[in-house]
Amino acid sequence: MSLVVRDITKAWGGFRALDGVSFEMESSGLLGIIGPNGAGKSTLFSVVSGFIAADAGSVALDGTPLDRLGPAARARAGMIRTFQVPREFHHLTVRENLMAAAPGQSGEGLLGLFLRPGRVRAEEDAIRAEADATIDFLRLARVADTPAGRLSGGQKKLVELGRALMAKPRLILLDEPFAGVNPVLIEEIMARIRDLNGRGIGFLVIEHDLDALSRLVPRLVVMDRGRVLATGTPQAVLADAAVREAYLGGAPA
Amino acid sequence: MFGALLVAGIVHGLIIGLAALAVTLVFGIARFPNAAAGDTMTAGAYAGLLAHQASGSLALAGGAAVAASGAVSLLGYLLVFRPLARRPVASLLVAAIGVAFVIRAVLGLIFGHQQQVFQVPLAWPIEFMGLRIPPMDLTLAAVAACALAAAFGVLHLTSIGRQMRAVADDPDLARVSGIRPLRVMVALWLLAGAAAGIAGLMLGVKTVVSPEMGWEGLLTAFAAAILGGIGSPAGAVLAGLLLGIAQEVSTPYVGFTYKIALAFVVMLAVLLVRPRGLLGRVEGVR
Repeated sequence: MSLVVRDITKAWGGFRALDGVSFEMESSGLLGIIGPNGAGKSTLFSVVSGFIAADAGSVALDGTPLDRLGPAARARAGMIRTFQVPREFHHLTVRENLMAAAPGQSGEGLLGLFLRPGRVRAEEDAIRAEADATIDFLRLARVADTPAGRLSGGQKKLVELGRALMAKPRLILLDEPFAGVNPVLIEEIMARIRDLNGRGIGFLVIEHDLDALSRLVPRLVVMDRGRVLATGTPQAVLADAAVREAYLGGAPA
Repeated sequence: MFGALLVAGIVHGLIIGLAALAVTLVFGIARFPNAAAGDTMTAGAYAGLLAHQASGSLALAGGAAVAASGAVSLLGYLLVFRPLARRPVASLLVAAIGVAFVIRAVLGLIFGHQQQVFQVPLAWPIEFMGLRIPPMDLTLAAVAACALAAAFGVLHLTSIGRQMRAVADDPDLARVSGIRPLRVMVALWLLAGAAAGIAGLMLGVKTVVSPEMGWEGLLTAFAAAILGGIGSPAGAVLAGLLLGIAQEVSTPYVGFTYKIALAFVVMLAVLLVRPRGLLGRVEGVR
């Protein structure tokens, strides 16, 4: 059971943002992607999550090819992403944000609302209970009824994680989950990711904070100029001469 | 005197508020000013008139108005606005004006252009704390209150309402979250149509039914939607009440002819002090 990314190529005009990128991870694993600015991390993320179509290459989750699916269909297939700048429904409360992300609601149609009120009510209660459980798990209970637009950057990242969880994914793609988050909340978010990974949910994480990422994931993919430069444990990768050259500008340790 | 005008203003304000609710819902979620909202009201007024003539029941008239306006509104979406989705707002506005003309023309062809009235029985006004309130005003206010309660109930207590508000906040994020745009849009146009239908019925009962009635009320509804803070349902209703009361109470001073202009004076005055409207949101923070 794995996420398999094969030979992804994507050019913007003449610029090759991605030049034959391949990697694999267990869909219940933890993998980090690092690289300097312009390495193609974000483009790769958008291709994998279905926001950008690749020029060539393939993405498959647990044996199912995803290449023809849009972002919503990929989410239904079990893979969902968050955003670098957290996005939320800013006038909806935190609870409503999570509830809005639950899949397959009969109350979605006005007809169902009137024809099967009992069933809609039962589903709505179940979704609310699940949202509340997720809110407790993320320690957001204090702000459950606050409009999400009023939260801090770190809290918004937790709300995003919560919305992703409501879709019951097997694999979550996190786009810089620690960027602009205060250190205390970084530890909090890391702890939640570890909990969830312990329950079998996989994470693919792009992150600039090399230190935090090295503590979180057992395996790193290092990218530079649209290519995979190295793959391995954080220690091995950071000791690699080519990686030091690209990522740290060749500075001595 | 002032009391009676206040009561008339509240009833009139509820009509404006319902029409503004229809306008602001479409603006918040489909993101264009729906100039066909007024004529959607007219369709509801005629459907209500037919049902009332046939049955004499105001409740049945309300049901007919909601059904007809909901259907007209949904048809407009499916036939015109859906194919034009993602076009510039100006294209959609012009298309909406076109839809408005078509609705008005069809109603004119079917019912003719002479004014018609709801034959409601005369009744003694109810005395209440020195106010003489016509029973029909009480009935209409109750109808409007129920319609508003239903609309806000759908928006805030149901999953489709939550999804409508989610699409209003961030349509792309909504799509990624697995919210189906077509369902949300169908619900939106039905809800906006129903609100317009009740507004049309009330306007017809209070004044006269003619093919032009909705179009003539459209600008006031737009003014209320803007005054309330565009995209804010509660703001639209509040602004509708404010404009309705201001229009009625000022009539003895400025005269009947100028009361529509007064709505715009109130709107401009408020917007000068508070550019985003009464309950408006700060947009473009991101």
